[in-house]
Amino acid sequence: MIHVAAVGDVHVGPDSAGVLRQQLATVPERADLLLIAGDLTKSGALEEAELAATELQGLAIQVVAVLGNHDHHSDRPAEIADVLRDVGVAVLEGDAIRIDTPSGSVGVAGVKGFGGGFAGANAAEFGEPEMKAFVRHSKERAEALEAALGSLDTDVRIALLHYAPVRETLQGEPPEIYPFLGSFLFGEAVDRAGADLVVHGHAHRGIEHGLTPGGVHVRNVAQTVIRQGYTVYGFDEARSGDRVSMIAGASGNVQRSAAPSDR
Amino acid sequence: MTAGEREYVEAHVHEALARDPRVNEPELQVSVVKDRVLVTGVVPTEERRAAVTEVVREQVPDLEVENRTTVARFPDAGGAEQLR
Repeated sequence: MIHVAAVGDVHVGPDSAGVLRQQLATVPERADLLLIAGDLTKSGALEEAELAATELQGLAIQVVAVLGNHDHHSDRPAEIADVLRDVGVAVLEGDAIRIDTPSGSVGVAGVKGFGGGFAGANAAEFGEPEMKAFVRHSKERAEALEAALGSLDTDVRIALLHYAPVRETLQGEPPEIYPFLGSFLFGEAVDRAGADLVVHGHAHRGIEHGLTPGGVHVRNVAQTVIRQGYTVYGFDEARSGDRVSMIAGASGNVQRSAAPSDR
Repeated sequence: MTAGEREYVEAHVHEALARDPRVNEPELQVSVVKDRVLVTGVVPTEERRAAVTEVVREQVPDLEVENRTTVARFPDAGGAEQLR
């Protein structure tokens, strides 16, 4: 079994030193890799990135991250990424990484993503230059995600985003802000390229579980949604038996739920 | 304060909580009820929670601040969800 841990929106700031390290202390014994779905920092300040890097440094498994909108707020995303890379974090933006575990290989393709909304209520590349630039940015990043996912030939393929690829995991957020929380373009990119899982954050009041229209599992791992330090997803080595079953809830009770076929 | 004025206050306080470097939390919810500003949502630390009150007070000194934000306390992860 391959185990993938994930969390998003940890918002490290000078006032939260030590918190993340404590929350992630048990990850190496429970997972083969850790995904961070953006917003590692409170405001994208380099000092905050250095603090986040200190928290992640020495974690005994590969950490894979994308940046979020908070990490862009100080207009220094490239430097933020470098600070994290210096301690071994793979920071993805339009590229992918392969991790070989004893149970099989995992590929992660990552982009930050962006907004624009969802089919039926989505922005179009039309009108003012600012509006066209907004939508074009999402289109470009979605194309990059599709290409990065397509480059992977691993047993498990995962798309890592900050913004949401589907509206389902936004339930609980005001519908008025959906266009700022994600875009269908990323769900479409995943469905075209194929994947086993899409992980995102950003929607603090959303819900964890969703599916793309093509049937790929979507999980919103914003820390305020999963309400725990991180969450873990398991994959059998075999590619058959595509179904979801909760093998143990947060309470530790073993449960088995009838799972919808996802493809 | 009219309903329209309350809406504007809510919007400007929300913006201040997003932009002020002491808080930087665009995900908080703000509502104005009579002469009180209610802020709800989750913040990572006690310091950021205290800063929420400070920022709102500075933004709307004539209104009472009711800071109902909570500080995140997350337990260790539960079991794994098997996806395949």
